[in-house]
Amino acid sequence: MLSTDIINNVGLNHYLVLSALLFVTGMAGVLLRRNIIVILMSIELMLNSVNISFVAFSKYMGDINGHIMVFFVMTIAAAEAAVGLAIAVSIFKRFREVNIRFFEHLKG
Amino acid sequence: MTADSFLFFFLAFVTLVSGLAVVLLANPIYSALCLAMTMVGVAGLFVTLNAFFIAGVQLIVYAGAVMVLFVMVLMLFDLRHELAAFTRGKFTGTVKIATVGLLAGLIVGAIMMSSGMLSDRSAQASDVLKTGADTTKDLGTLLFTKYVFGFEALGVLLLVIAIGAVSLARSKGGTHAKH
Amino acid sequence: MGKDIFEILVNGVKLVLVFLMIVQAVPILVWLERRGSAFIQNRFGPNRVGPLGLLQLLADAAKFLTKEEFAPAQGIKLLYYAAPVFALIPGAIAYAAIPMSVPIMVDAFEMFGQTWGPYKFLVQGYEIGVGIVFILGVSSLAAYTILMAGWGSGNKFSLMGALRASAQTISYELALGLSIVGVILLYGTFNLTEMIQAQQGPLSFQFLGYTITSEYLPNWGIFFQPLGAILFFTATFAESNRLPFDLAEGEAELVAGFHTEYGGFKMLLFFIGEYAHMMIAAGLMTTFFFGGYSIPFVSAAEVLAWAQTVCETATGASALTALIHFLVYNVKFALFLWIFIWVRWTLPRFRYDQLMDLGWKTMLPWALANTVFTAFMVYLAGI
Repeated sequence: MLSTDIINNVGLNHYLVLSALLFVTGMAGVLLRRNIIVILMSIELMLNSVNISFVAFSKYMGDINGHIMVFFVMTIAAAEAAVGLAIAVSIFKRFREVNIRFFEHLKG
Repeated sequence: MTADSFLFFFLAFVTLVSGLAVVLLANPIYSALCLAMTMVGVAGLFVTLNAFFIAGVQLIVYAGAVMVLFVMVLMLFDLRHELAAFTRGKFTGTVKIATVGLLAGLIVGAIMMSSGMLSDRSAQASDVLKTGADTTKDLGTLLFTKYVFGFEALGVLLLVIAIGAVSLARSKGGTHAKH
Repeated sequence: MGKDIFEILVNGVKLVLVFLMIVQAVPILVWLERRGSAFIQNRFGPNRVGPLGLLQLLADAAKFLTKEEFAPAQGIKLLYYAAPVFALIPGAIAYAAIPMSVPIMVDAFEMFGQTWGPYKFLVQGYEIGVGIVFILGVSSLAAYTILMAGWGSGNKFSLMGALRASAQTISYELALGLSIVGVILLYGTFNLTEMIQAQQGPLSFQFLGYTITSEYLPNWGIFFQPLGAILFFTATFAESNRLPFDLAEGEAELVAGFHTEYGGFKMLLFFIGEYAHMMIAAGLMTTFFFGGYSIPFVSAAEVLAWAQTVCETATGASALTALIHFLVYNVKFALFLWIFIWVRWTLPRFRYDQLMDLGWKTMLPWALANTVFTAFMVYLAGI
């Protein structure tokens, strides 16, 4: 099944599959981990995989608008990481705990 | 295996392994450092896709600033006595992994099924992405003409974020201070 | 890397040579620092080992190599050992992108019964189209060295020093990047070689259709962007953790900051990394604001014509031109490295809050004002 064509000609499909695998890895991180900061990092991983997908489409379709979208996604991801970390710091100062198990109940 | 494809597979391997390490390592600081490695790998992939300016911006913004912020916050927390890193229960864990695997299969299947249509479209479009300053010039022109509203909205967003993050994390005063 | 095996081989050897150049410049710089600081402080520096004390660092290296290899018990061994190795990587990668001389044009020649075609070898590690964005991106990875060293040492003083140093680094990266934007606007390119090409000839300033030319001054960036140059130079002090911004290693306050637990050769690697960042700063300063490898009022073509009267072959003439320009670059480069050393032993250290105020409240607004003003002037020049 592994013909040399798949290995030698790296095309759009390769980048899309890579982006998909990275995305589901990030998603698994959000579902499986219990540390708030690691969940935020997995979200960053998902956003990066989407960036790869945008740039790959931009190159193979010859359209530069993909790069603009990457710009926006990068900026918003950085801003969201900053706010998420600020919230995590506030939570840590108040509760001395970053394990999300302790925040399951909307009380207190 | 041509040099280009070897480069792609090497970078893809590094990125995927680092991404897996982010999710699987128990110590969160190792996770953060592996995520920084992933960002550098993604920047390398951008270079193979002829997006040089975006690769540089990825290095400056993500690998150089955002991840340093993550690592600094983790070091301030001092979580060496982290008890449980992963979700409790084997059954829910298995359900989650199965869901994620199903989603991965669906996406890869969709890519494979539409590969014919994608290759038609990409064969029609010429490789108009030039290198270096030309792309940047086009990017700049587009940002200031067609997407100027989004650009200005991003500026306002960043201002709001800066003020919000500072006021959230202050030690005295701020929105969550007790008076 | 090249079309055929000869070019690939030469380019590979050139990369290794650039890295070795960075590493071998460190003993010279350390000698310069120790003798220079002694001169400033009115005392002798090392003057026993070898003539003028030049072999002092050789003796120091031998001492470091024979020291005991230890690691703190409560630290994380992987990060502790990885940090000094990682210290070299961003500096070396970023320095290899700075052009050091005119390219060497090699004519076709015969060897081993085969014709090797005409080549063009650049006197730098590699040429990057988006030069300055790449250099800024890679040198911003230096913050990880400090963080890994601080955390891997496993004690509070190292961690405090590491957090303060990395906060300083990412704060001044902003001022660094913004002070460069004026230069990028002025020359309209990211490529460092094109920036050097744009700084040839006498000073010519265009304004609203008038062109003001001066025959006495070269067309260097410093005359167009004086404020940008000052801001850039100051920000690079903070980036390479040199005094007056070196509270990372504040001796009186934090023992030795993030490299408290390091001794012997590992500490030497940290210093090589710091000097590599100094060299990047000096190299960028000459490239942006002082014309890089170009000689004022003498164009590269004139030097090539002179070299052709000395050397018969075109390859030899091109190599001689490259050598002359390389020496000119080194003179400007050494001047800035001396200024780094001079400032270190002149100014006292900043306090942490003074440093943060300077970075965010003073340099950032001035850099923004410089950008706006430059954009306005470029617009007026283009009308």
